[in-house]
Amino acid sequence: MSSESVVADEIEAPADAAVNRRVSRRWLALLGVLLAVAAAYTGGYLTPALRAPGDHSPEAGFARDMSTHHAQAVDMAMMAYPKATLPEVRILAADIAMTQENQIGVMHTWLLNWHDSVNSLDPPMSWMPDGPEALHDGLMPGMATPQEMDKLRNATGKDVDILFCQLMLRHHLGGIHMVDGVLAVSHNQQVRDLATAMKTGQSGEVEVMHHLLDQLGAKPLS
Amino acid sequence: MSISTPQPGGNRRPSVVAKPAAGAKPRADKSTGAKPTAGKTGKPGGSRPPIKPIKANTNRDWFPVALWTLVAVIALGIVGYGGWQVYQNGLSWQDRAAKIDGLVNYRKTEPDVTKPAQHAWGPLTYKQSPPVAGTHNYNWQNCMGDVYDAPIANEHAVHSMEHGAVWITYRPDLPKDQVEALAKKVRGNPYMLMSPYPGLDKPISVQTWGYQLKVDKASDKRIDEFIKALRQNASVEPGASCSQGITATGTTPHDLGKDQPGGTNQMGG
Repeated sequence: MSSESVVADEIEAPADAAVNRRVSRRWLALLGVLLAVAAAYTGGYLTPALRAPGDHSPEAGFARDMSTHHAQAVDMAMMAYPKATLPEVRILAADIAMTQENQIGVMHTWLLNWHDSVNSLDPPMSWMPDGPEALHDGLMPGMATPQEMDKLRNATGKDVDILFCQLMLRHHLGGIHMVDGVLAVSHNQQVRDLATAMKTGQSGEVEVMHHLLDQLGAKPLS
Repeated sequence: MSISTPQPGGNRRPSVVAKPAAGAKPRADKSTGAKPTAGKTGKPGGSRPPIKPIKANTNRDWFPVALWTLVAVIALGIVGYGGWQVYQNGLSWQDRAAKIDGLVNYRKTEPDVTKPAQHAWGPLTYKQSPPVAGTHNYNWQNCMGDVYDAPIANEHAVHSMEHGAVWITYRPDLPKDQVEALAKKVRGNPYMLMSPYPGLDKPISVQTWGYQLKVDKASDKRIDEFIKALRQNASVEPGASCSQGITATGTTPHDLGKDQPGGTNQMGG
């Protein structure tokens, strides 16, 4: 449109055309600025929605799957807490239960804030490259089978201490594996921070549980 | 930036507006109405080679047109995708649930029943079968992906649903392979539990606090849609746990802890 009219003007009178061209450039510049502002506003409005990890992102997958993983740890810890014989085991169980329950809440809030679904039909671990292969009987790495959970539920005395340390040690190693999976791919700082904290905390507890098992005269599960 | 050349003819309008008046006469002379697209420089038209108008006629430069069309299409695509994303993300779990064909929303039809409820000991009666809400036992049924092979007490299961669990029930005559298909949706998943339910009017019934879906087959996709939309989301006690619940079966409620004031609520003994 404008180039057409510029040419038309220019044919009539060169000087007149020069003025009109300047005027039309001003309008164009103004239009450009308005468009840029509109684009920036729209972009700014959409950016949080578009930048938030999506429903199938590794971050969302991690948040969901680690919540499931954590929930079992809380379950185990709540079983061991009232009946373990060693105070060190009871304290460790209480610590794990409260820490991981809190972290579940944090991850749940991520999903809500990202407008991602709390539940997914994706198979567990499908956000990790070798994830689905790491499942056994639908359970994520380190997770106890229903039979093992029953065993801990019904255990008494020193067996509680041993079984808890054995199951939780393996559980933590599986959890650390998942943490490594998300750290390898995610640039989301919130996710990286919590994942790193999980790794540090659980690695420390792995050492503690090795010592406790030694003390109890038992060995980690193979 | 200022307009330096004064114009006697008062022709200082924006060029877009000026077009018809200013361009009518000379355009007829020089370019015979064709769209001149080659006005690249500010030089007077007279100094150009005579061949130019022909060039403009026959060899229209489509490149800018194609370029801007492409830009427009990409821009529309981005805006459209963004808008679609925002719409999708804006869908609440209630919206998603409402899209499930055959879902019964008791929160609408029975708002009194589905309000956060009280606790009670002993057997209770429910209007719906299986129940979807209401007063329930102090103890909840363990719902850490528990697959129960025998019927459980409504009074505990209702409490689990209050905590956000999806309870899958099936008629005991459901074929084994379908029972296993259902169990796969449950095992290892917190906020899920499953048990047989004698006397069920349909082969399978899936429920959570205030919502129910009855289907004929375990392969019905609506079961997954139900779980995806409602598990945890429909909790009336967000954050409440599924562990530390009753793990025993049997339809008579286990009044665990009732007779041990001050004692620990020790489960599963």
